[in-house]
Amino acid sequence: MWLSSVFLKSLRDYRIAILGWGIGMGLVVVSPMASVTALITTPQAREQLVSLAATFSWNADAIAVDTVGGYAMFKIGIFIFLIAVWSLLAGSRMLRGEEDRGSMDVLLSLPRPRLNVALEKLAAIWTALLAMGLLIGLLTFAGGKIFHGDFGLGDALLFGLNLALICAVIGGLALLISQFTQERGPAAGWTAGLLLVFIVVDMVHRVAANTEWISRLSPIYYYNLSKPLVPSHGANAGAMVVLLALALILGGLAVWLFVKRDVGGTVPLPRLLRLPERRASRALPARDWSLRSVYARGMGMIAMPTVWWTIGIAGFAGWMVYVVQLMEAKLSGLLSGSPTMTGLIKNLGGGDVGVNAGFLSAMFFFLPLLLMAFAVTQVNRWSGDESDGRLELILATPRSRPEVLLGRFAALSTATVVIAMITLLTSAGAAAAAGLKLDGGNLAAATLGMIPFGLLIAAIGYLASGWLRTAADTGLLSFVLAIWFFISFIGPELKLPDATLRLSAFYYYGTPLLHGLQLTSVLGVIAVGALALGIGTLRFVRKDIGV
Amino acid sequence: MAAIIEVDKLTKSYGSKRGIAGVSFAVEEGEVFGFLGPNGAGKTTTIRTLMALLRADSGSAKIAGLDCWTDSVQIKRMVGYMPGEPALDANLTGGQILEFFAHLRGSVDRTYLKQLIDRFELDTSRKFRQYSTGNKRKVVLIQAFMHRPRLLILDEPTSGLDPLNQQEFDRMLFEARDEGRTVFLSSHVLSEVEKTCTRVGIIRDGTLVRIGEVAEVKAIKRYEMTISFADAVPLDTFKSLASVIEVEALNNGHGVRLTMQGPADAVIKAAARYPVVSLTSYEPSLEDIFLRYYEADGVLAKEAQGVA
Repeated sequence: MWLSSVFLKSLRDYRIAILGWGIGMGLVVVSPMASVTALITTPQAREQLVSLAATFSWNADAIAVDTVGGYAMFKIGIFIFLIAVWSLLAGSRMLRGEEDRGSMDVLLSLPRPRLNVALEKLAAIWTALLAMGLLIGLLTFAGGKIFHGDFGLGDALLFGLNLALICAVIGGLALLISQFTQERGPAAGWTAGLLLVFIVVDMVHRVAANTEWISRLSPIYYYNLSKPLVPSHGANAGAMVVLLALALILGGLAVWLFVKRDVGGTVPLPRLLRLPERRASRALPARDWSLRSVYARGMGMIAMPTVWWTIGIAGFAGWMVYVVQLMEAKLSGLLSGSPTMTGLIKNLGGGDVGVNAGFLSAMFFFLPLLLMAFAVTQVNRWSGDESDGRLELILATPRSRPEVLLGRFAALSTATVVIAMITLLTSAGAAAAAGLKLDGGNLAAATLGMIPFGLLIAAIGYLASGWLRTAADTGLLSFVLAIWFFISFIGPELKLPDATLRLSAFYYYGTPLLHGLQLTSVLGVIAVGALALGIGTLRFVRKDIGV
Repeated sequence: MAAIIEVDKLTKSYGSKRGIAGVSFAVEEGEVFGFLGPNGAGKTTTIRTLMALLRADSGSAKIAGLDCWTDSVQIKRMVGYMPGEPALDANLTGGQILEFFAHLRGSVDRTYLKQLIDRFELDTSRKFRQYSTGNKRKVVLIQAFMHRPRLLILDEPTSGLDPLNQQEFDRMLFEARDEGRTVFLSSHVLSEVEKTCTRVGIIRDGTLVRIGEVAEVKAIKRYEMTISFADAVPLDTFKSLASVIEVEALNNGHGVRLTMQGPADAVIKAAARYPVVSLTSYEPSLEDIFLRYYEADGVLAKEAQGVA
């Protein structure tokens, strides 16, 4: 039955995404609901929460943030980027991805009009988004019931529908852009960039007066007009109709262009917008530094991801350092009314929450986590290169297997050092700009000290890739990372025994911003990492490639 | 000539799946050796074991007297390799890929490399992902030839190449042979092997079933002969002859189509007793011989007894 039409086949392809993304994003919405009751135990704490939320109103409208629904809507404000990722990828892949793979030629060889094929595929994406919206709505309703929210099932379903609509707009935009690009990657990249612009444009009216007309240019503005989880505010039917119309226009235009253009080709842009035509050449790029060795090639491959992750990690550290003093008073008032949060911050940061450095120290706990997540993505690439056969020709050159593996690992190591160094410089710069006094040595320890942890998870990943395929390797590393995070994040509150806490790598990171680097612990992490890398190299030397 | 490739009782299995079992052969320096077999027969497993991408379960494989596994780096200095399903970084241009591999190999003559690019008329400015299948093959072929290797190991090298580029490839193969270099190529395009190879090995279900000169392999002929007569001729005239395997009547008995193996002398003598209008004999192509090796085991055994 699922293979009887293009629509059903496409929907079948999305079944795992519907479940995974729907449940995952539903949990993202529900998770802030769990903490709100702990934050408003006293009237003072409630007041502080409202006041603190107002400080962050650039992120989202701070409406009824002292209610379960209002707080959830406020917290997921910027997470719209995360929620829209699936539709962005699916939209860019819907037609262009099939053309990339060559499967569109086969599909269009069937006695079925091109228009029908495109419409059925678009309908499948919209159906998948509605199904995800339904799941998110149901989970949100369940979360509301558990945490005593004041919204009903209809409100939760409207919330899910509003999410599905904004995702359909972003997906439609990606689909439209993919009509102008030769590959799906650039279409996804352009759409992600535009999505960021839309988010920022929507923020404008919340930080500058009389600028609402600017924000109206962003679809995110219309999404944010509806707040179904805040019963006093409710959904905005007009805004939802605007989103529906946008989704129909973007999707319809993309399908119309697809029907008109060559399969595998692009819609011709006006002469002014066209890139200069590429001339055929038989030259060799003799001066390209990134082609000189396995290490250099590794650096070339990792360069762009490193830039993005550096912006994320250094930006997070710098921002936290900069704002911590500005919100010191409100934060300490809020945390003093919430023993749970106080305990959590103290466990992570290792110091008094009333002190800026204590709060910062807790926030810096996330730095090694982020660097390790970066390392996982790069291990995934190494493992994928092997299982997809991209190492075969490299290993057919007179280069030994350890040279190839260690060359790639060295490139990853260089990237982690660069990220850590820039994080250090950004944090120091932010502290100077905000007039915050931080111990230079401890700041260096907190930023540069995360390097061994990034390399530890990478070494474990390289070791595991000796036996596991890409997906299993990445899955295992993500699981290990999640378990370590859980042990260190929640473990102290659950009074887990010290022996269990020591199983997490984060335990050995400690609280360097307050107490400096624990040299013995870091040396231990380095030793374990080196051992994993050594065994991983031995395994790689002996294993069958691509089997 | 000394053997440059020596494979002795080479065995490789993938868990419960069969790879190759007890494969033995030798390839002499300077010869063009064809390795034939259908998909899944064990050609690629043998080649990947030679290239130290797979580790043999037992047996040995040597190139230029060096062990393929323990001395693999030394061996790869003298080998040019083209995999059957090449996978390369799709975001690099053809030029970047060739430059990268030239650096990894070291001491690649850039003038010669540019000559190869010109010969195949490769546009090096396009990304690998944007190339057609044929152009992708060209990139991989050029990287295999660019360091003028002593031994070329090519897995299905012409698959995806257009006829003009296949001709160019043939010319390069002949040049390599004339320069005294050795070529070990796998293929199931048998006419190509017939055209370019001096010796062939046929592998089936992981076992080498025959090895010999191309001409020698062709000698195990099962060929067809069609004879037209002025009058009708009884089929029994030919059925009992030793070389005849099958007889089919044509034109209401005025002709016969004979499937034969072995000398034609008895058939010619028997036919001469009747008024012959025409006689046509068909040479077996290597395809025909190749296909027979993949018939039932019984047929193979019968042929092996008669010819080997």
